[in-house]
Amino acid sequence: MKKSTVMMLGTVSAAAIVLAACGGAEAGSKDQVIIYSNADDEAIEVMESTLDDKGYKGKYLIQSFGTSELGGKMMAEGTDIEADVVTMASYFIESAQTSKSMFVDISSDLKPLDGSVTYALPILGNVGSIFINTDVLQQKGLPVPKTIKDLTDPAFKDLVSFPNIMDSSTGWLLVQAIIKEYGEQEGQKVLADLIKNAGPHIESSGSGPIKKVKTGEVAVGFGLRIQAIDAKNEGLPIDYIDPTEGNFTLTESVAVVDKEGDETLAKEIAKAIATEARSGLLEQYPVALYEGEQVKAEHVPAYLKKWDTTLTVDLLEKHQAFFKEAQK
Amino acid sequence: MLKTDKMMKLIFLPILLFLLFFLIVPLIYMFWQSFKIGNVITIQNYIDALKNVEIRDAFFNSFKVSFVASAITTILAFLLAYAVHFTTMHRHTKKLVQIGITLPMLLPTITYGFVLIYAFGNQGILTRLVGQPLFTIYGYNGLVIGYILYTLPVAFILMQNSMQYIDKRFLLVSMLMHDRPLRRFYHTVFRPMLGTIGGAFILTFILSFTDFGIPASVGGNYRVIATELYQAMLGSIVHFERGAVISVLMLVPAILGVVMLTVLERFNFQYKQAGRSELVKHRLRDALFTGYSILSVTVVLIIFSTMFIVPFTKGYPYDFSFTFEHVQNVLAEKDLTKVYVNSLIVAVLTAVLGVVITFMSALLNARTPLKGRKSLDIASMITNTVPGMVLGLSYLFFFNGSSLKGTFLIIIACNIVHFFTTPYLMAKNSLQKMDPTWEVTAELLKDSWLKTVIRIILPNIRSTIYQMFSYYFLNAMVTVSGVIFLVSTKTMLVSTRIKELQHFAKYTDIFVLSIFILCTNLIVKLGCDYITAHKEKVEEISK
Repeated sequence: MKKSTVMMLGTVSAAAIVLAACGGAEAGSKDQVIIYSNADDEAIEVMESTLDDKGYKGKYLIQSFGTSELGGKMMAEGTDIEADVVTMASYFIESAQTSKSMFVDISSDLKPLDGSVTYALPILGNVGSIFINTDVLQQKGLPVPKTIKDLTDPAFKDLVSFPNIMDSSTGWLLVQAIIKEYGEQEGQKVLADLIKNAGPHIESSGSGPIKKVKTGEVAVGFGLRIQAIDAKNEGLPIDYIDPTEGNFTLTESVAVVDKEGDETLAKEIAKAIATEARSGLLEQYPVALYEGEQVKAEHVPAYLKKWDTTLTVDLLEKHQAFFKEAQK
Repeated sequence: MLKTDKMMKLIFLPILLFLLFFLIVPLIYMFWQSFKIGNVITIQNYIDALKNVEIRDAFFNSFKVSFVASAITTILAFLLAYAVHFTTMHRHTKKLVQIGITLPMLLPTITYGFVLIYAFGNQGILTRLVGQPLFTIYGYNGLVIGYILYTLPVAFILMQNSMQYIDKRFLLVSMLMHDRPLRRFYHTVFRPMLGTIGGAFILTFILSFTDFGIPASVGGNYRVIATELYQAMLGSIVHFERGAVISVLMLVPAILGVVMLTVLERFNFQYKQAGRSELVKHRLRDALFTGYSILSVTVVLIIFSTMFIVPFTKGYPYDFSFTFEHVQNVLAEKDLTKVYVNSLIVAVLTAVLGVVITFMSALLNARTPLKGRKSLDIASMITNTVPGMVLGLSYLFFFNGSSLKGTFLIIIACNIVHFFTTPYLMAKNSLQKMDPTWEVTAELLKDSWLKTVIRIILPNIRSTIYQMFSYYFLNAMVTVSGVIFLVSTKTMLVSTRIKELQHFAKYTDIFVLSIFILCTNLIVKLGCDYITAHKEKVEEISK
């Protein structure tokens, strides 16, 4: 009888200790900066190693999201968002600032190439391209595609993968290229055929297609040019192809959320990402964003193009509707 | 010392408040939200949702795929349970079925999808053995297989329990009466099992209908209601009202299901006592069922074996050499170990607090004359009905902006409420079976009520308590749908982290984390089972 009482008391007190411990842990971690990021894991690795090197180890936590998830959160929660720092597609940060004015001023003497704003600093640039798994192409006896339109050939059925514009900004690069080249009407058909060919391989993440091309799950993918260059340099049977429709680009920026004056550490960390981590990020994402930056020749895409107007969330929603229409 | 009556009320009140605040009020609040546009009360949201083709499609798809999956599951589970209880298969084969079929329960459903991709996908292990993909795993096929894997253990356990109580002497009687096999089967097994079969079907249907993990991983572009709800709440454009409406829509089949379950209860047979009589040997039957059982277990094991192959190969599918590299990488990432610790904290606290709450509730309901104790039965019926995703969402609505948001506490509360029914009924059943005169005797001996509970009731219910603990722990460890809306950066759990890793297609990490969960759950389950079995043995000897 006594034993059971002791056991009961033991369990209860153990529970109390655990409760107290996790209460304590939570109180202790209040001065951690929380970073919400839509960046791919390569970029996050660079940010993490830079921040750790600069002595911020343990002072921050990075939480990854898909671009759309994070965008939805920013628009819905505004300054109530859990994050102190956000790294995100630049157009989303601009739109969030316009509608929610949720970011604070972090202007500095840094000189971005593209007209700068006071509340955000660009951290990396993305370039879209096609990439192929040469082994699988050969195995299936398929021709090497030159354009995005080539991928609508029924021979590529279930062998194409691309990111979904509903979730990923890399997916937008594809849709921009199609609309720009073929216009709304023909573009609709090209996109519809492409969607048909991709079947289940429309990925929510920008890094989905390259992974599927690498494992041979599909033969061709659309994604970031650098992903293919890296895979090729690793010795995998991967090659990149600049589609004649154009290599479109997007930048991502970092911004600090307005927490009513409590942003000192957050600002420091955001600046460290934009400056200290920049060299590493430039290596991963070879697009010059600041004055004086240089990239290697192989990293300059053959058909670099840009959308005529500034990218905004409104435009994205229009293009998403275009995509949905093609999906029907 | 407080008076018995006061003491009971003192325990009853916090439980009642807990259930009120973490079950009733959030649900009502969410229901209210679904009728609001701005500040206007209207049913416009429902009209919009029902007009929306995507939501309609998703609803219909969910219905179809869940129906097919639960029909198949019910048949498979029935045959398996039949094999265990009504054949003279070797007892090792029986044990193998009991363990092999229920093993997937120790994993989050989101893992099932990835396992399926690596088994049946273009580069999957089974695909490589056959040479070409058997079928597309993404979408409908994947969902059906995933749901079957997910619900088979539940249906199997349900049937097994029921079959235990079937009086096997009737088989003998039927045989002596020269019934034909089909007639014998109908009257001695099928008819008594009808209630359970219907129950298993409905339960598996509801589980499939409301699961989020499987469609999140293998759904492809096949829309179901759970992914639609996720999209509405955490997608690119957030529609809170739409989310509220979808979750109410999700609740409807669940409510209908529970109503049907109560109707079906009438079909349940009550044998006064289940007589054990030796089954007659029948070679062909036994051989067939042995074959079927082994085949089922093998399929389950082969599908889940991918989980152990992929993380230990260097570069699947190109380089198959064995390596610990991936596991070491995961262990080295402080993020992932922290997430694992978070999960442990949540599971342990859910289990401890959950057992306390369910035990107290059952105690008050079953063994006290307290007024209002029937409300606990109602609470347990509601928790049985409400899908985890809906409960989580109602918390998101209700506790948004409060200091509870983003804490472990809210996750733990959600788990306790979400999984309330089973442990509550377990405790209640055991308590009802105990001698009802204990309290009176103890009172005559001048023991206080609390003393009676601690000294007499608790020691007698110990093995049930361990089973309740293990149920809570396991479920808290694997649930995705209940907590997907509640986790924050600091309270990230393993099961929800898998969803995030999916975004980066980091399948090796996903499998390593799944193995962690599996091992943890195995240890807890085996530990609890061992203590229970050990205790029973000791008791038997001492008798």
